[in-house]
Amino acid sequence: MNYIILEGVRKSFGKKEVIRGVNLEVKGGEVLSLVGPSGSGKSTLLKCINRLIEIDSGRILVGGRNIKEMDPVELRREVVLVPQNSVTFPGSVLDNVMMPLRAQGVEDRRRAEKALLEAGLSRELFSRNAEKLSGGEKKRVALARALVLRPKALLLDEPTAGVDPKRVGIIEESILDMVRGRGITVIWVTHDVSQALRVGDRIASMKKGKVIKVGERDRFQWEGVY
Amino acid sequence: MSGIPYTAEEALLRMALVAILIVIAALLLRLRRVGIEKEYLYALLKGGAQIFALAIFLTYLFSSPIWYLLIWILLLAMIIVGGRTSARRASGLPRAESVTTPSILAGAVTVITILVLSGAMPLTPQFIIPLSGMVFGNSMTICSLTVERFLREVRLGRERIEAALCLGIPSAMAMEEFGKEAVKAAIIPTLDRLKTLGLIFIPGAMTGLIMAGTDPIVAAEYQMIVYFMITGGGVITSLTAVYLMRKRVFTEAEQLAEWL
Repeated sequence: MNYIILEGVRKSFGKKEVIRGVNLEVKGGEVLSLVGPSGSGKSTLLKCINRLIEIDSGRILVGGRNIKEMDPVELRREVVLVPQNSVTFPGSVLDNVMMPLRAQGVEDRRRAEKALLEAGLSRELFSRNAEKLSGGEKKRVALARALVLRPKALLLDEPTAGVDPKRVGIIEESILDMVRGRGITVIWVTHDVSQALRVGDRIASMKKGKVIKVGERDRFQWEGVY
Repeated sequence: MSGIPYTAEEALLRMALVAILIVIAALLLRLRRVGIEKEYLYALLKGGAQIFALAIFLTYLFSSPIWYLLIWILLLAMIIVGGRTSARRASGLPRAESVTTPSILAGAVTVITILVLSGAMPLTPQFIIPLSGMVFGNSMTICSLTVERFLREVRLGRERIEAALCLGIPSAMAMEEFGKEAVKAAIIPTLDRLKTLGLIFIPGAMTGLIMAGTDPIVAAEYQMIVYFMITGGGVITSLTAVYLMRKRVFTEAEQLAEWL
């Protein structure tokens, strides 16, 4: 059963059409690698799915519902986008993860601590100033902040960008462990073909604002993708 | 004491004598080749022409039997000019006057109402015009500082705001710290001036009243009324501007507006 469906999605900024009629289906619980060169529209497409950007035409369905008919705040708690740049908010690591819960009036410290541990952050870091963490640690905080919401889908925008190459594999593993255990649907944006192959159940490739190919990992045809 | 101890003609003569300062300053600027002597003289002439035009208008208005009608026209002009001037600071914001004019109005109307009800502003043109000018002028400055800072903060903090929205945090909450920063930036210069009152300088209203022969205690009391006006009106204007701006930088679907 498809959890996210995009039908004829278009988006322009001024005269420039960035998304040019995208059709895409993402099955519930699968990890879909969305691969393509810089500027192909991958990040914009993710922002269209969680309605951070309003599409010009076409429609996007999440769990069978048109996102335009959903409360955008509720949608973003269900389909959580983790941006490429790991932004941290003022306060401790724990404060950062408590933040989306507090926004809902939930003061559940244990839930936040659990999310942090699952994202691979040790307890000693919980009280540290989040802004002083390393790039890799910030990525993990961003993941924990998303997971604490117990989302149905994660939209990951280059989740290992800027991470020490030796640690990329570890982060990939921990993300896959977290999402597979919970049946979370994932769109994993990457420009790295080998990463797309490592993490995705299926692969979709984008070029100049269009999804040009979609296929199972093992049978994906790479010709013309880049 | 009975105010400045000479007639208008004598004042003109003194003004002409003190104008020797302009000659000295202009000569020094020219000698040092600073390159702003023309602008200096132009600014003096323009400013001088404006305040004399105002003085002539006020002389007419003070003796006019329909002064209360003219005052309404003047207040309306203050609102329109204030809103437009401040709107220029809201770079990129479409229909910026719809944020700045009501914000200035909110601060100014509250202050003027309290001034009238408390009796601090007698209903004569000699009080209404200068005090309203001060109130509108100050609200305009605070509004300009607020919108400019707010937009700068939002543009610089765009990533952080979007990251918060991505976590299902409502826009009002995602925006909170940026709004606070804008209000602080607009109000703090006034508070700093307030803290140094009487230590580094004697403020304008008090200076004027003392020179006009008012008892220094009464002058200080009136100066405090002016500061209550400036700070109270400023806070109301700034908070209103942030409230209205917040509604404009987000769409109905809790997205950052594309014009940003």
